[in-house]
Amino acid sequence: MRLLTHNMLSCNIKGVTNGFPLRLEVEKFVEKEVDFSAEFLRNIFPKIEWKALVDAARSMGYAELPDEADSSMLDSDDFLKKFHHALLELHLEEGALICPETGRRFPVNKGIPNMLLHEDEV
Amino acid sequence: MNTLFRTTESPFLQYLNQPSTSDRRRRISSLPVRIGLGRSTRTGLAKTTTRMMASSSSAATETVGREVLKKGIADFYDESSGIWEDIWGDHMHHGFYNPDVQASISDHRSAQIRMIEESLSFAGVPEDSLKKPKSIVDVGCGIGGSSRYLARKYGAQCQGITLSPVQAQRAQALAAAQGLADKQVSFQVADALQQPFPDGQFDLVWSMESGEHMPDKKKFVSELARVAAPGATIIMVTWCHRDLSPSEDSLKPEEEKLLNKICDAYYLPAWCSAADYVKLLQSLSLQDIKAADWSQYVAPFWPAVIRSALTWKGLTSLLRSGWKTMKGALAMPLMIEGYQKDLIKFAIITCRKPK
Repeated sequence: MRLLTHNMLSCNIKGVTNGFPLRLEVEKFVEKEVDFSAEFLRNIFPKIEWKALVDAARSMGYAELPDEADSSMLDSDDFLKKFHHALLELHLEEGALICPETGRRFPVNKGIPNMLLHEDEV
Repeated sequence: MNTLFRTTESPFLQYLNQPSTSDRRRRISSLPVRIGLGRSTRTGLAKTTTRMMASSSSAATETVGREVLKKGIADFYDESSGIWEDIWGDHMHHGFYNPDVQASISDHRSAQIRMIEESLSFAGVPEDSLKKPKSIVDVGCGIGGSSRYLARKYGAQCQGITLSPVQAQRAQALAAAQGLADKQVSFQVADALQQPFPDGQFDLVWSMESGEHMPDKKKFVSELARVAAPGATIIMVTWCHRDLSPSEDSLKPEEEKLLNKICDAYYLPAWCSAADYVKLLQSLSLQDIKAADWSQYVAPFWPAVIRSALTWKGLTSLLRSGWKTMKGALAMPLMIEGYQKDLIKFAIITCRKPK
């Protein structure tokens, strides 16, 4: 699961109001090289919850992203490279996503999150 | 997604000759979810569940029924996805054909692509670079055929959800092999009735032949609407039963009986009509609601699937498959019967979320 995906997932256990962003529990992660596209990054930037990305990247050991970002930074090659790396090249293979409100663990196996709820959470 | 095809053994051929076997499943009429839990179910889950149901309150009963259904669906697709893909490829939906045409096996792949294109066209999804969808959700994504196709067509991001872990893995692997996994598509194991996304995420909400599996049509449609962004298009292509006439309260008993047999084999909860879906969409204040009956355009599909099952490859695959897949195959003639009786309809229902 790359962090682009993580940025779009939330916990929807019944009654939870603060289900985003999910915290990462990292057992195994890999870095995969991905083709760089500045245009892609510029298009996706407005949709990204920046703080969630920064925190998630940090939990995978990558702390190079600035705490805050605005669209003017998209002109900087250096910024784009870091954004690219965090968003697309860090993959959680084994671990879990944790609901910030309830602590519920959603397992991630072979890179695929299992977001199914139990009967009593619905 | 639907079907599977199976078995060379005489039971299958007998079944073809005698289409109406007796319904051995006790119809559990007290449950909103009508699924058979007869002896043929492999796991002990069914027996345990039946005992539990006898003693529980109705709410708890429904919950247990839902969990059994979800597990049934997941197991069904875990078991049969590979075999389907082997013979039919990565699109697990009906093809769209010109009426009254005898399609050859090579036409089916392009018919399945045509189904996607005709659906997008019916819904009026914009293609120009400013208005085309940039983020898409594929609800009930199977092994990701639609996800990859749509991601490529629009250059968009696509998230797919399925109850089947095997399908999610396979979908991911296919995406990686096609160079889409890096940026464009990703897959999660999740429930369409509780989509793991915040509100308003997607410009295009796609449900291609997954609606049949949803036990709570209202919740299903609400979730589609919830995750749709303002101005987004929602497309549902699904099996329905015929619309009821104004004087009818329900389908005829023999119609219900036929549908129950099909439900049992394909892990489908109760059916509804296209008109029921339209009402649900209206109740959610969605706009530009359109519905059509495409049954005539999919007529060649089930006979083609049966023919593919009866090939050497089909039969040997069936023999190696599990019981759930075989049961699915045995039910295929029932689908044909349902269509011929104008009971089963292949419907498309689309709408837009207000801006």
